[in-house]
Amino acid sequence: MSETTIITTENLNLWYGENNAVIDVTMQIPDRRVTALIGPSGCGKSTLIRCFNRMNDLVSSCRITGMIEFHGNNIYARDADPVEIRRKIGMVFQKPNPFPKSVYENVAYGPRIHGVKDKKKLDEIVERSLRNAALWDEVKDRLADSAMGLSGGQQQRLCIARTLAVEPEVILMDEPCSALDPIATSKIEVLIDDLKKKYCVIIVTHNMQQAARVSDYTGFMYIGKLIEFGDTTQIFEHPREELTENYITGRFG
Amino acid sequence: MSEKFHSEMAETKQQVIALGHLAVSMLRDGMGALETDDTDLASRVREKKKELSDQVNLLEEEMYRLIALYQPVAKDMRMIACSLRVISSSERIGRYGKDIANVVLNTASDTRFPHLITGLSLPLMADQVISMINDSLEAYETEDLDLVASHSERDDDVDALRHTIFRDAITYMMEDPRTITKCTNYLMIARYLERCGDHACKIAEKVHYMVTGDHIDIR
Repeated sequence: MSETTIITTENLNLWYGENNAVIDVTMQIPDRRVTALIGPSGCGKSTLIRCFNRMNDLVSSCRITGMIEFHGNNIYARDADPVEIRRKIGMVFQKPNPFPKSVYENVAYGPRIHGVKDKKKLDEIVERSLRNAALWDEVKDRLADSAMGLSGGQQQRLCIARTLAVEPEVILMDEPCSALDPIATSKIEVLIDDLKKKYCVIIVTHNMQQAARVSDYTGFMYIGKLIEFGDTTQIFEHPREELTENYITGRFG
Repeated sequence: MSEKFHSEMAETKQQVIALGHLAVSMLRDGMGALETDDTDLASRVREKKKELSDQVNLLEEEMYRLIALYQPVAKDMRMIACSLRVISSSERIGRYGKDIANVVLNTASDTRFPHLITGLSLPLMADQVISMINDSLEAYETEDLDLVASHSERDDDVDALRHTIFRDAITYMMEDPRTITKCTNYLMIARYLERCGDHACKIAEKVHYMVTGDHIDIR
């Protein structure tokens, strides 16, 4: 199956004040594939994916040079709308962070602020999003209950449903399973495999086995640099760079 | 955790090398017993079969344990893959040694035609094969691919020797049909030795994979 690139970065650099946290990253991320970013703590992988939907705009000392294109359009161009970018490039965080509202309202919130008022239409979106997040069967009878009463794994899938509700094209996941038990993790991983049929998924993970299990491509980052990017099987069977080899085999430090 | 894996793997690797040497000793002693009609030596080779099989089972289980506990990747995974090949090939090589010892025990009472073994170049073939296996095991231990760089040509030589032995054995059997029983056994042994040469090549292929990550085919 042919692949199209959805996000391209070129010589991307990011500074927090004087700290060059992302250094000269050039990469092409394919659509409808899962791309994993791995690397030790502080290597810049979370910072990098936060660039993809301009989450770093909120950090006052943050400065970016280089280019990030989404469908060939520079997302840091003057006329680029960050709200629209974040709708198309959604994000799921490490800890499930549902709103203290009902299950239904969590999912309906995004479409509503994007202008969907019709109740029937909202109902459809909520059901579709919850189904696509593999949560519908577990919550269909408790849509009015507080989302805070769901288990951690269910909350995380609810956050994914909330992301899907605004019809994004890319889903960024920043260690989405690190707060979950193995069963909930497995459900999210199965879901990720399903999501790539419709979406581009970019996942940051500390769990290398998870990267190996769920991703088609893997990038290894170290001290801000993208050391190696390639087919996941190649990275985990025969990495080209010694640094990658040393990291994934635990020979670091 | 990775330090624990690497130290356990290093220890297991030494045991795999020892298994390889056990297998080579069975093959070498089997051939030695054949050349000298030494039934005591042949019996000792046969007795080693249990040790061989126990070690194979133990090391295979150890490999599965390492995979299950540590999920090794990259070079660590390739080393496990290579080690599993060394284990299974060593088992086959050792068992061929035991099969040769069985031939000695079954035919030693027939002392006629003592010239046949050397006439058929079996000792020469065994030397070449054992040297190939030893080089493969040393390459596994040291990761020195130069040791196995000419395995393809060496295997061609071994195959050529087997064909020569086949032709010579037919000549002997035509000249004197009383040699048929011995010659038939020797043809089987030539076949065992040729297979042992193939195992040396299979180990060499996996050592190459372990060191470089590339798959090669030694013909």
